[in-house]
Amino acid sequence: MRLYDIVVVLSPEETPEQITALADGFKKILTDDGAEIKLEEVWGRRRLAYTIAKRREGVYYYWQAEAKTETIAELERKLRLSDEVLRHLAVRADEELKRAVKLKARREAKAAARPKKAAPASEPAAETSEPAQA
Amino acid sequence: MPRRDFKKDKKTGNRKKFFVRRRKACKFCVEKIEYVDWKDVKTLQGFIPERGKILPRRISGVCSLHQRKLQTAIKRARAIALLPYATD
Repeated sequence: MRLYDIVVVLSPEETPEQITALADGFKKILTDDGAEIKLEEVWGRRRLAYTIAKRREGVYYYWQAEAKTETIAELERKLRLSDEVLRHLAVRADEELKRAVKLKARREAKAAARPKKAAPASEPAAETSEPAQA
Repeated sequence: MPRRDFKKDKKTGNRKKFFVRRRKACKFCVEKIEYVDWKDVKTLQGFIPERGKILPRRISGVCSLHQRKLQTAIKRARAIALLPYATD
């Protein structure tokens, strides 16, 4: 099981009911195959950055799901077949997130190590200034 | 070749040719962003000039690690029409 980011852009010409039905259908493909949807965001009607099939707008859906590779392959096949889907994207999210966590941990470890080095350096400086005053 | 002594230039009034450039800092390093999110259009838009191209590192000052991440993020956002491939 791997974590995936999935975005589906649907045609805005469908009725709102049809759109929700389609989105639920895609969700069902995932859940039926044992995938777990972790996050769901409905971005709604958005202006497209460029025209796709003479449409200037699209209805965006975003899911983050933990799924098997085969499940994603099946979902992508269905997405490619349906005419209402203008664009879709399914990419792995776990690798990048893992890296981000690792980098953050490393940064925190560095930050924790830094004051120790800085403190002894500042103390001798304070000591030397005091005799000068005295 | 010996390094040019800029302090000397200052004294001799030869400084006009040189001006002090402020060192550009990588936005992602400064803000401690490890994960360049391709869904975050607002951030990505800052690296897209009018033509819709990806802003080069030499202009934006982004470090090479983050530029590579930024590059894939922009390309992903383009694929789903969040960002343009080209504008005119």
